[in-house]
Amino acid sequence: MNRKADIIRRALLLYVFTGVFALAILARVVYIQFFIGPELRKKTKELTLEYRNVEALRGNIFSSDGNFLAISVPVYELRMDTKANGLKEEKFNNQVDSLAWCLSNLFRDRTKADYKSILTDGRRQANRYLLLRKGVSFSQLQKALKFPLFRDGANGGGIIAVASTERVKPYKNLAARTIGKNDPTGKPFGIEGAFNEELTGKEGVRLMQKLTGGMWKPVDDNYAVEPENGADIYTTLDVTLQDVAHSELYRQLSTHNADHGCVVMMEVQTGEVKAIANLKRTSDGSYIENYNYAVGESVEPGSTFKLASMMALMEDGYVKLTDSVNTGNGQMRFYSQIMKDSHEGGYGWLTMKQVFEKSSNVGVSMKVWEHYKNDPEKFIKRIRQFHLHEPLGLQIPGEGDPRIKNPKDRDWSGTTLPWMSIGYESKLTPLQVLTFYNAVANNGKMVRPIFVKEIRRRGAVVKTFGPEVIEEKIASEKTIAQAREMMEGVVKNGTARNLNGLIYKIGGKTGTAQIAGAGGYKNEGKVTYRATFVGYFPADEPKYSCIVVVSAPSNSVYYGNLVAGPIFKAVADKVYAGALDIHKPYNRNLPLISDTNFPTVKKGFVKDAAFTLNKLNITNEVVGMQSGFSVAKHLNQKFVFEHPRFTTGLLPDVKGMGARDAIFILESLGMKVKVNGKGAVREQTPQAGNRIIKGQTVIIQLG
Amino acid sequence: MTDRSLKREARIDWLPVFLYLFIVVFGWFNVFAATRPDTDDFIFSMSTNYGRQAMWIGFSLVAALVIMLFDSKFFPAFAYPIYITGILLLAAVLVVGQEVAGSKSWFVITEAIKFQPSEFAKFATALGLAKYMGEKNFSFLSTSRYNRIETANPKSWVFLPLRLIGITSMEGAFALILFLVPAALILLENDTGSTMAFAALFLVFYREGVTGIILVAGIVMAALFLLNVVVDEIYLIIPVSAIGLLGALYLFFRRNIKPGLIVVILTAITVGFIFMSNYILDNLKPHQKTRVEVLMGVKKDLKGAGYNVNQSKIAIGSGGLAGKGFLNGTQTKYRFVPKQYTDFIFSAVGEEWGFLGAGLLIAAYVLLLCRIILRAEKQRSRFSRIYGYSVASILFAHFALNVGMAIGIMPTIGIPLPMVSYGGSSLFSFTILLFVFIKLDSNRNEILW
Repeated sequence: MNRKADIIRRALLLYVFTGVFALAILARVVYIQFFIGPELRKKTKELTLEYRNVEALRGNIFSSDGNFLAISVPVYELRMDTKANGLKEEKFNNQVDSLAWCLSNLFRDRTKADYKSILTDGRRQANRYLLLRKGVSFSQLQKALKFPLFRDGANGGGIIAVASTERVKPYKNLAARTIGKNDPTGKPFGIEGAFNEELTGKEGVRLMQKLTGGMWKPVDDNYAVEPENGADIYTTLDVTLQDVAHSELYRQLSTHNADHGCVVMMEVQTGEVKAIANLKRTSDGSYIENYNYAVGESVEPGSTFKLASMMALMEDGYVKLTDSVNTGNGQMRFYSQIMKDSHEGGYGWLTMKQVFEKSSNVGVSMKVWEHYKNDPEKFIKRIRQFHLHEPLGLQIPGEGDPRIKNPKDRDWSGTTLPWMSIGYESKLTPLQVLTFYNAVANNGKMVRPIFVKEIRRRGAVVKTFGPEVIEEKIASEKTIAQAREMMEGVVKNGTARNLNGLIYKIGGKTGTAQIAGAGGYKNEGKVTYRATFVGYFPADEPKYSCIVVVSAPSNSVYYGNLVAGPIFKAVADKVYAGALDIHKPYNRNLPLISDTNFPTVKKGFVKDAAFTLNKLNITNEVVGMQSGFSVAKHLNQKFVFEHPRFTTGLLPDVKGMGARDAIFILESLGMKVKVNGKGAVREQTPQAGNRIIKGQTVIIQLG
Repeated sequence: MTDRSLKREARIDWLPVFLYLFIVVFGWFNVFAATRPDTDDFIFSMSTNYGRQAMWIGFSLVAALVIMLFDSKFFPAFAYPIYITGILLLAAVLVVGQEVAGSKSWFVITEAIKFQPSEFAKFATALGLAKYMGEKNFSFLSTSRYNRIETANPKSWVFLPLRLIGITSMEGAFALILFLVPAALILLENDTGSTMAFAALFLVFYREGVTGIILVAGIVMAALFLLNVVVDEIYLIIPVSAIGLLGALYLFFRRNIKPGLIVVILTAITVGFIFMSNYILDNLKPHQKTRVEVLMGVKKDLKGAGYNVNQSKIAIGSGGLAGKGFLNGTQTKYRFVPKQYTDFIFSAVGEEWGFLGAGLLIAAYVLLLCRIILRAEKQRSRFSRIYGYSVASILFAHFALNVGMAIGIMPTIGIPLPMVSYGGSSLFSFTILLFVFIKLDSNRNEILW
């Protein structure tokens, strides 16, 4: 019995053992759930739920014709967890070769062997965040997801794709400085910078839940604030014109080995900038957009300023275009300095119009000196009247300040006035000069250049930027008319005769200024120039104005007309060819249809033929039929449609019909049809009038 | 005669069957919660983990049914062949097996079909031990001078430890060998979890008459080992030596010389063990050492070894009294607890079903274990009784280690929660293990040979 008691004791002990353990577990569960439970519950919230900012999508920048100029696209950083859980040694070794081959093939930036050593080194170092490539596009990522190893996912293959967005300019360099950039690392510029607030939108806040692998998933919640995506910016830029301006500028700059240059084209009435190109030579001889010269480079305008001087003289009634002036031998002394004309030996006697056309420095400065030397203030007042002294106040930052000297200024000297009158001792940006010329083309109404036309949110326009008038009339009607006459003269008779075309007229002014370097106007003993052409077209009804500036062209060819002029012409030609609204129809007065060119109408389906004739406003009449095949007869300036005469049992005449109609008729009579050639039916075999034998083949020859 | 034949009829004890069904079905819902993709366009698919688990439940039920159709005599009759097959498989996996998570314990046929022979070995060893120790004349104590262990080698002191734990017969020693051979093979697989679960079979030896000293010694050793993690060994050696020597002195003073000497020897062994445990700790694999240190609160390695347990505790703790509800556990839904659908499935129970669900599951297990022990005691055949105890011990070890790990009172050991954790071969072998006993129990009035 002792043995039995022993066994019962042992069994009991096992029960107790089990029970004690179960109780221990239960006690522990109670402890975890009720004693440290509240703290743990808080931890789960912290771990899993969080109010997170939801980034708003940045708006796009569009050209006026609806092309993307700047757009945000997703890019990925392709990385690898070389020690992912499911990535066993054997699996890795088996597939690393084919993965390396695929990567090398996809990105084409490294050889297969390079990729393999990166992968195996990474694995050896147990790199769990091995960088394989940055800037991977969405489509590339899709391909990479199908690669060996990677197709087993993050856990099985270790693929990691870190997403971000990248701002892309689909047209790369085109208007790059104007479109701009808003990079946290640099100073924002261009439209991206100026309209950053609108483009950025507003970040939202949303309750998110953490998923494995650092992903966050939105959770329904009443406190969520939806992000407000950025607005789209519609610019005034036209991709086609921009392309022409850019490529022409590029071509001329390379031809003349120039340092830099710019082209701006503006719509006369609205001030919309249709194209703006800035190029600068790089060390390897190519050209890139790296500074907005048109907007920012404030330099001596040179001869293009003579328009302002002439207009000042005319406004004050000091000169008329027909006045004569003796420019003598092309030299004139002002105090210690000698003013020279570019033409050796001078022009002698010229009318004021010719002075402008030939861009005589002596002629302009002499007249300005004569009338304003005692009251230079008055001249400056006129210049101010043309708003040349103040910045334009553009939509994008970085505008260069103009500088028009004042007689009270310390650096005003005796020679300032004459040299100022021909565009020296002053500073203007190309865009400021263009705005002034544009005002003249626009009958004196000065409008501010704009780059951005509309801001749209989800397609709806929320803000428009209309033409902004700086000054209703910068000069009298008469002065404007004379100014335009002079400018047309420049192209017709003067310094820019090479731009004189046949179809439309151009008005404008050349400028060839010496560039003041650090050592004055001669830089290291070498004179450098800035060639300009600024003007508008078509001269009769100005639609567009344009300025071309080429800085530091080669020394052999540097005149404005030769360096800057061709760019202007190429851009103008392109615009003219493409813009229907500035064309006058060549044959506007000719009648569309006349006796001599009355069309022929083939046999065919009557409704179609009548429809076509009605569209062409040609009178026609359908006789004795509603539909079906007809023969058109030409009677007294009109067409009459009649039934073709078919005789039952005999082959009809299908000559002159289209192939479809002929086949339809013949096959509906039970014939087989063989077709050769194309066009209308020229011949048929057997001939019309033969007896119909069902199933017989009719060959119709088209042509 | 009629009375006797009535008694011979199979009478199934339905309680463990219902408990089994409850645990399996409840387990599947938790596997489902822990593996279901969190999408709205959810389709039940066999290629998912929960789908495969459902399939395995089906297979297991079929297997259970087939077992019930067997003749009870089959199991004792084939106990040795099954035992030998188990040993051969364990040996084979060491040669041709595949290493999964550091343990060379799997036969991998395809990615989807894997088989762990240690699962089978538990069943095979249980049968083998039941058969051998179930023989009529089996006893741990020698009954004649012919079956005394010293007969083999009279002078050897090797048998001293056997005597110490109460084995004096040769067949008792051989039973121990039957247990130690598979245990050693599993230990070689480097699968700590399986080894510890297997070690639980020693409870059967206890029930059958081996002294409890080894259990007490085991518990004392485990305690000393863990304490050694927390404090320097000197703080263990001094009190242990002091108590031991004082006790011995007292015994000597009382002229109990022999017990006094035993106390001195035991104290020496204990001190030796403390030094050894220190050595073992230093020579543990780094991840194992960290796990032990995390358990003892020495290290807070929340990103590494402690991560699983910490996440598991967070999940369980966030469940509260009634839980967050089925499929509503954020920690479960978003897979915060690594290996949740296998080893840490208890955390899904704790989070989604709360204290009530966890308590219910624990109660189901305890009830099942107690029922098995109770039925085992009622067996007329020793074979069935020993087998029943084996089943209870193995289930208990898995349950205790797994749940203990999930709630942080046991070190992290990869071991499944029987019939709950995801895993086909585990579910399948536990089903066989349990239903063979239910079958044996249903014929408990038969004398099996």
